[in-house]
Amino acid sequence: MTVSRRTFLKGAGGLAAAGTAATAAQAQDGTQRFTGKTKIELSVNGKSVPVEVEPRTTLLNALRNHTEPPLTGTKIVCDRGTCGACTVLVDGEPLYSCMMLAVEAVGREVRTVEGLSEGGELSPLQEAFCEHDATMCGFCTPGFLMSLTACLERNPKASREDIVSAVDGNLCRCGTQPQVVQAALAARAGGAK
Amino acid sequence: MSTLQESPPSPAPTGKKWIRVTQVVDGHDVEEWMLIDDVEGIAWPARESMRLLNKDIRRVDAPEKVSGRAVYAHDVRLPGMLYGRLLLCPHPKASVSLDLAPALEVEGVEAAIEMDLGGNPTGYLGQPVAAVAATTPEAAEDGIRAIRAVYEESDWVVTFEQAIAEGAPQVSSRGNIVRPGEDGDLGQARSALAECDAVVEATYTLPVQHHVCLETHGIVVDYRGGDEALIYASTQGTFIPGREAAQHLGIAPSKVSTTVQYMGGGFGSKFGIGPEGQAACLLAVELGRPIHLLLTRSDEFLMAGNRSGSHQELVGGATSDGRFVSLIQRISKLGGIGGGSHPSGRPYIYKPEKHHVSNQSVMTHTDGSRAMRAPGHPQASFAIESLVDELAYAIEMDPLEFRIRNLDDPFYERQLDRAAREIGWYEHRHRTKPGPIDRDKATGIGFAVATWGGGGRPACQVEVRIDPDGSVVTSVGSQDLGTGTRTYVAAITAEEFGLEVADVTPRIGSTDYGEANASGGSTTTSSLAPAVKDAARNARLKFLARLAGNWGVEPETLAIETGGVVVDRSSDRRVSWREACAELGSTALVANGEWQRDLAGNGIHGAQAARVEVDTLTGELRLVKMVGVHDCGLPLNRRALRSQINGGMIESLSYALFEERVIDPYLGVQLTADFDNYKVAMTGDLPEIEAIIDDGDDRNQVIGIAEGAIIPGQSAIANAIFNACGVRLRSLPFSPAKILEGLEALRS
Repeated sequence: MTVSRRTFLKGAGGLAAAGTAATAAQAQDGTQRFTGKTKIELSVNGKSVPVEVEPRTTLLNALRNHTEPPLTGTKIVCDRGTCGACTVLVDGEPLYSCMMLAVEAVGREVRTVEGLSEGGELSPLQEAFCEHDATMCGFCTPGFLMSLTACLERNPKASREDIVSAVDGNLCRCGTQPQVVQAALAARAGGAK
Repeated sequence: MSTLQESPPSPAPTGKKWIRVTQVVDGHDVEEWMLIDDVEGIAWPARESMRLLNKDIRRVDAPEKVSGRAVYAHDVRLPGMLYGRLLLCPHPKASVSLDLAPALEVEGVEAAIEMDLGGNPTGYLGQPVAAVAATTPEAAEDGIRAIRAVYEESDWVVTFEQAIAEGAPQVSSRGNIVRPGEDGDLGQARSALAECDAVVEATYTLPVQHHVCLETHGIVVDYRGGDEALIYASTQGTFIPGREAAQHLGIAPSKVSTTVQYMGGGFGSKFGIGPEGQAACLLAVELGRPIHLLLTRSDEFLMAGNRSGSHQELVGGATSDGRFVSLIQRISKLGGIGGGSHPSGRPYIYKPEKHHVSNQSVMTHTDGSRAMRAPGHPQASFAIESLVDELAYAIEMDPLEFRIRNLDDPFYERQLDRAAREIGWYEHRHRTKPGPIDRDKATGIGFAVATWGGGGRPACQVEVRIDPDGSVVTSVGSQDLGTGTRTYVAAITAEEFGLEVADVTPRIGSTDYGEANASGGSTTTSSLAPAVKDAARNARLKFLARLAGNWGVEPETLAIETGGVVVDRSSDRRVSWREACAELGSTALVANGEWQRDLAGNGIHGAQAARVEVDTLTGELRLVKMVGVHDCGLPLNRRALRSQINGGMIESLSYALFEERVIDPYLGVQLTADFDNYKVAMTGDLPEIEAIIDDGDDRNQVIGIAEGAIIPGQSAIANAIFNACGVRLRSLPFSPAKILEGLEALRS
């Protein structure tokens, strides 16, 4: 067997982003192959973040292991798209960052929990999480916050059902879900009523 | 909670007295007698005079957690750090031969080691056999895959039935059935059944449950050669990892520091460093570089412990006037290569007039059970609460009334009554027989109660420091599991000085601070809070004595009012906190504190009720509402306390509805090693939940709450299902298939 497992045939993994194709072309001019470590630029929380990743590196691992300073607010829990702890916003949509390759995120705007309180001031949702005791161990918290941020940005008057649905892909083991829902209700436009 | 001799081992000498304290061993609490001086200790102030405590307090570390700034062991990034990963044996028992060389040829892999099995075959499914360290987690995974491993499978057992079969492969040299123990008189219990009006004989089973800590187990060990190391651990016991790691690093335990600033859940499974920690240390020694070894999720499911399964055969009898006359109970704990958990000794909570209880551990070649939040109690609760319920319906008595008649502690009557009112029991139509199943939906209500110790012991050394600039720092080594330790450390100190919570800096989770116990068995608060109170009180008295000296007045004339204002009653002098602290000159004032027995209590209760709706056509179960009423002596932070009660109820309803480890009995493969196949309750699965603090408990002493809240939920749900539709489910989880099967049986 001479095929390296790092060899990544363009198109085979469903890669479609234009930015990625360009990077691949620059890296392996004319061969349509995309092999080994590649330097790409991610746009994270409004800043350009250079990372050097393999084609197989997930967006989650790129954020956590290849940025400086490390963006470890986004948590790794299942690494298989089942728990929501790694939820980030990509062009405003909540996505499990363990299910997206870093190279797919090129040219798209990524927002992480670190981006919610830039300048040090907590967002109304983060503030509500503090007020309603929506954190216990805190490991699931960033994922819940990102899912709800997207939900409330899409619909500032989201209903309780919208809120429950928005976080139904986020796993919490300490049992903070009731407080999370209360916090989100309080943070939406017009408050809890 | 294990049994303890009812009376002290000997009479107390003059000036001394015996008290009961709680010690935690591997997450299981053990009570013991301790001889102390018989003098009046310090007390908490009256509840109504408290300004911060027994109120809702905002968690001090919430801003760190919501902003992503909180750094967990998973998040530690150090220069030169490598990522470790384990190779797990895919068979329940096998001889292993390994060729590590191909792993070292993988780009990025720096080292590969074989785990020391002492020349023996592996002992359980998922036992680690090798480890690698690499520059990225991806390369580490490649390294693990590159190892050439040849397994020669031996005969194994993975289920209860396989383990007890004649001629079964043996798990331990003592056989598969070990540690038999019994309590009571079998002959008496049998003859008492003869006088009963109703006798119920049933077998109740519970599957293995996983802890599902969101942060998987592991450590980051910062060792670069030499004789010092720093461990970043995801642990429930700050002082454990360093001591254990020192052995594998080959350096003195005193030279290994540990820090646990944030940790992503333990639930009883995170004390020692485990094989993953050992591997991290050995790789660090090999390479002289920091190693980050945190388990993958599938590894976590296979090798990071679990709540033991349980197989219980019960016979119970009652008279028609509601006396619980006799109980014969045979308990098998299913803890893999571990012993499993069940409260030992007498029947759980209820006190039948005659009883015989025997228990044994049945071992299999699967991961050993560990303590899990209230070890053994949910299992015990499910069997006894189901049987009690079955007996009540058998004599056509309201199951609430039958419970109250057979529980002698007045806490239970008060708590059950409260739960009954909140859940709507007294207006419920069918209280002595199940509801009809001729409509699409059947609604039912069920109850169950809990007990736990939650007492403390002398374990924590706390320091309070007042700086001349007015800042106050309280330090102790204790960890915060998400339970709110950090917050009450600050709040108790602030209460003492008339300050706000934010005025006090709590420093916790480090071996650099005072010694502290591990968080197991709900003993953290009851061990730590008294020591914090003592340190704060000592600091206040020392501070006032210093000011009195400076001002030439008697210390007794000085007091601290709200806002930290120091008042001299002899001269009406009022000095702000900052000005008073400035009187310290150039040196900080430091005071220490230790455990004070009168500040901590022991023994908690709890009652929970569940309301369910069963779809009689599909067997689908909808939880409508759950109520939990719990006591814990003096509440410190009511908001965090309600969160703990909520959390316990959610974990137990998840156990009731979804959770079950499944291992293929023919292939020996664990089918539930991910969240696709091991379902945990999500937000959309939750009912309305009401967490109620029982303020009828007027003990002005702190007691731990965590365990109590997780004990009775699944039992209350099982009883609610029966009340709804007459289907008695005797095994968890309560799947629609089981309910449907029960409905079919009723109809035919």
